[in-house]
Amino acid sequence: MRRIMKRLTYQLKNLRKDKLCLLTFLLPIVVGIVINVLPTMNTQTLGEMSFGCVKSDLPAKTVRWLRENGTLTEYGTLGELETAVNDPATQMIGVLRSENGIRTLLSGDELKLYETTGKTLPRLYDNRMNKIAFSQTIVPIRSNYDGLKSLLIVITLVTAMFMGCTFNSMNIIGEKEDGVALVNQILPMGTGDYILQKLTLGFIGGCASTAICAFLCIRIAPAQIPPLFLLIVLSAYTASLIGLFIGYFSSGLMTGIVYIKILMILFLAPPIIFYLVVPTDNVVFPLSYLFPSSAAFYGLMDVLGGQAHRPWLNLAILAGHAGLLSGIYFLIMAKKRKRQ
Amino acid sequence: MWKGFTHLLKKDLKMMLSGKFFLLALFSLVLYSCYINLVYVNLEQEDYQVYLFDPHGASARQDAPSGQNEHVTDVGSRQELENACADGVSIGIDLSAGTPEIYMLSSGTQTADHYRTEWGKAVLTKIMDEKAVLSETTDHEVEIIGAFDKEQKSRREITCEFLFFELSAVGFLGLASILFKEKQMGVIRVHGILPVHKAAFILSKLCVFLLSDLFFAILLTFINIGFGEGLAILPGILAQAGILSLVMALVGFLCAVWLPDFKQFSLFYLVLAVFITTPVFLAGQTGVSWDWIIFHPMYHLFTAMKSAYFGVATTSFPFYSICAGTTALLFYIAYRVLAREMTKEG
Repeated sequence: MRRIMKRLTYQLKNLRKDKLCLLTFLLPIVVGIVINVLPTMNTQTLGEMSFGCVKSDLPAKTVRWLRENGTLTEYGTLGELETAVNDPATQMIGVLRSENGIRTLLSGDELKLYETTGKTLPRLYDNRMNKIAFSQTIVPIRSNYDGLKSLLIVITLVTAMFMGCTFNSMNIIGEKEDGVALVNQILPMGTGDYILQKLTLGFIGGCASTAICAFLCIRIAPAQIPPLFLLIVLSAYTASLIGLFIGYFSSGLMTGIVYIKILMILFLAPPIIFYLVVPTDNVVFPLSYLFPSSAAFYGLMDVLGGQAHRPWLNLAILAGHAGLLSGIYFLIMAKKRKRQ
Repeated sequence: MWKGFTHLLKKDLKMMLSGKFFLLALFSLVLYSCYINLVYVNLEQEDYQVYLFDPHGASARQDAPSGQNEHVTDVGSRQELENACADGVSIGIDLSAGTPEIYMLSSGTQTADHYRTEWGKAVLTKIMDEKAVLSETTDHEVEIIGAFDKEQKSRREITCEFLFFELSAVGFLGLASILFKEKQMGVIRVHGILPVHKAAFILSKLCVFLLSDLFFAILLTFINIGFGEGLAILPGILAQAGILSLVMALVGFLCAVWLPDFKQFSLFYLVLAVFITTPVFLAGQTGVSWDWIIFHPMYHLFTAMKSAYFGVATTSFPFYSICAGTTALLFYIAYRVLAREMTKEG
């Protein structure tokens, strides 16, 4: 046991000298800090309607009504307002005074919701005086994260988890290039020992980086901590296994880096796209579970959203991936040993 | 001199071919085009859905005629209503009690909730008073002032972003990877004693990458915007793509000569990709405004590219003179650094 610890400390020391690994370790933490400082960037406004008007054109009561329903930006001239409405990056609706109410300016490239809003706003404005008896229930949302922020947090965490593969794959490739791998073959060290060491290396790196990042960004109920912990452990293990694969298959540093980049894109893009675009009851949705990162991603989203019952499905899928990959790796190793 | 230059060009082209650079570019072209045509143009934010629970049939609601904006769906029970509204976007109307109730899950923003209430109230007005609030307004109440519809806008916007990303991040990496290979092979050392001008060594690389980047820009634009529309805005796009390509290639060249190995370079690349391009994308895509973004040089290149895609002429003399100045300065620094490296190598 002590021997293993000694070897591991040596490996970790070696890793510390590697700037790429150090940066990979620190990057999610830095991004985590940035996200925490971010609230000043008003992510809130993204779900709101955004209106624009010309200064001192609208009566005070209209301005008040618009401010109740969204953000209102005032522009000096009509020309400035038209430029702002036409800006492709925004969904702004221009509001102008008309004889008996308001009229609107649209650029014509808005998403459906904003287009309808622009087209119906004058009527909606007239309707505000309509006294109609109704009661209202607005159920407050449970989590205190707004959509974009929790998405950013989850993307960072998933990146941190699966970047774990960098630590051991870089280590393995470095050893290959320095010729240590050849020396290892004549040393009295079993393949099992070797695999265990490298696996632990990636696992510790991934876990530590993710845990620090999670500690910085997430505030959750104690009941959510076990699923979060399991998610981190399972993903870090899967990532570490993938790191072993990369180390095994890549011949040089350059190919290794390219593999890692392709892998990160493959692992990060599908869950984000599926999460944003495809509804969960769609037939295509389960396809995204082909990537282990998707399970981690949805699991984290649920943990942040305060839903306790669903992480178990994601955890099971993640565990399945981990088991399958371990199986494949050991098969490859067994075959290799037989050949030798 | 010129003979040497053409040979250099040929050699760089061969390097690019053997480095599978073109294959990578083709792969990204296919990937981007698939994403734009299959996913991005279909993204849409639908109108608010309204769910109605009306056990007594109190509403004299007819099926809404076409052209109306209410999307009212009947549900069978209160539980069903609450489940349907769980997305934080939909609006529920419960007519089972004496007074009608508007039920919704908060979207997290007060103003958005208020607006949804107004929307629900309008639908309720329709149900109770049979007064259609949400029918389309007349033309003099809404004026459409933009030149593009939603699909044209999305295509132009995302094509511009992909081109910007490809040129700034990938082009940079391509030149550097070639230069590192040459460094490893000792080409720089050999060049020190060859009768070829040092500037030619840099120029030939710039030319090859500029041409391939321009070619990539043309293909990406034609595939995703269409030939006719693409042709009209192509000159502006090529000008911007040329500037971006030259600047990024020179920066890539500098870094590759300065930094000792590819590992350190990829470190630097990571920093560049995360901290330099991300704010530009956020500012360009979401309309989030930061005051400091105007000090971000890449932001100006990005806005220029974007205006080129939307056919807005930004022929401002200061912008082009600054770009030309920067390119010349970078070229000079690259030249000096290369000269130093050659003396160091002997």
